[in-house]
Amino acid sequence: MDARDASSAEMRRPNPNHDTDPMALDEETVEELLTGALSPPQVPAGYAQVAQLLAAAAAAPTPEELAGQGAVLAELRAVARARSAAALAAGGRARPPRRRRRGLAVAIVVGALATGGVAGAATGHLPGPVRDAARTITGAGTGTPASPTASPASASATGNPSAGGEGATASRPGGAPGSGPGPGSAAAGPAAGPALEGLCNAYAAGSGAERGGKLDATAFEDLARAAGGEERVAAFCEELLPGDQQLLKKPKQPKPPEHPSPSGSGGQGQGQGGPPASSGGGGSQGQGGPSAEDQPHP
Amino acid sequence: MIGPEFPDVLGAAARGDDDAFGRLWRDLQPRLLRYFAVVSKAAAEDLASETWLGVVRGLDRFQGNEPAFRAWVFTIARHEVLDWRRRAARRVTEDLPANGLVEQVAPDDPAADALEGFSTRAALAEVATLPADQAEAIVLRVVAGLGVDRVAEIMGKRPGTVRVLTHRGLRRLAERLGDGGRMRRVV
Repeated sequence: MDARDASSAEMRRPNPNHDTDPMALDEETVEELLTGALSPPQVPAGYAQVAQLLAAAAAAPTPEELAGQGAVLAELRAVARARSAAALAAGGRARPPRRRRRGLAVAIVVGALATGGVAGAATGHLPGPVRDAARTITGAGTGTPASPTASPASASATGNPSAGGEGATASRPGGAPGSGPGPGSAAAGPAAGPALEGLCNAYAAGSGAERGGKLDATAFEDLARAAGGEERVAAFCEELLPGDQQLLKKPKQPKPPEHPSPSGSGGQGQGQGGPPASSGGGGSQGQGGPSAEDQPHP
Repeated sequence: MIGPEFPDVLGAAARGDDDAFGRLWRDLQPRLLRYFAVVSKAAAEDLASETWLGVVRGLDRFQGNEPAFRAWVFTIARHEVLDWRRRAARRVTEDLPANGLVEQVAPDDPAADALEGFSTRAALAEVATLPADQAEAIVLRVVAGLGVDRVAEIMGKRPGTVRVLTHRGLRRLAERLGDGGRMRRVV
């Protein structure tokens, strides 16, 4: 469609035989420049430097860019453990130590970043395979193999959520007023019990309390059923959980407007280049085919 | 780019598997840092860690293929940038003129880096000299490796607008650099 527009018609490859703007590019050429698809002789006149610049911008990762992985892995472990602990303890009253963990994790990440500039030091905190990969990349020969649990970051970040989350309730700020022994099942109807509370806790432990989140674990289908539909889980859990655990109004979690919905699930929509019949330039438009999504070109 | 294994890698990462998450991280962290280097250089590392916190928390509920995942991560990244700018605006609200608050952080002087050729850093600094929309569109296309439509979604613009922004940005870069211009060629 665009290819036939009058505006697009103005974007031609540089053509010395015409009086047209010698620096104008057509859409296809722009696409090829952006994806690094042009060999140097193919680059339009005037754009050789640009092509090199874009290649440099997309060059292979540097060791500095790959430092600091340990901190984010620690956070991942903390979230995963809180989640599984909440799911396992669905019959009990375990609450993931979410708020405390977030504060801790931020501190840890910041701390790790402050010290993570030295690639060799950073690799010391990585789990085996990751450390090996990092060592391959950085060429750093770290002589101190660290098991995943040996990382101080992970030890302090995860605490021991499966032990009932006592640390969480002890340090939760301002949690006293609303946190009784749990919500009365009367308030949430006959279906709501400790098990559902646990599921809600697990649900809230991540960022899924945001709208558009989707419950995909089998266990959570029960929750969705109890709530009367996946889209009602958030409101359901908000009612069910005590006031200090109403996590629906998370302050910082961004809500991607196009967070993939169950039906949209990313690729099938407009994101994948649209209907081939109407996309004019074919693979080079829209999603650009495999090359557009590919690794930065070397 | 992780490729055909992506669904398995994503699933394992969402269950807390370190190796799988490490693959996602190694694929995207450099891209995130470069994106931030262009749009919000002063806070690049903080923004990257905040972005990953958001990714970790939403990981088990993400549904989609690898391009969709990458677009989702960069959507979070962009939200972090906007948040950061709002916070920065509050912090300095009395020190700076209002219209300076949402401007990009001044990039390093590209000319200094240019003497050493096109390092990645120099290239990003050069892109950062473009008008903000053009710079962001280009870096999302080139560094994040996203298609026009996804960049348009992330930036809240129409695909045609993104095409125009990238075209203008490339052209502007070409005029700045010239063939054999002041930046030295590195072969």
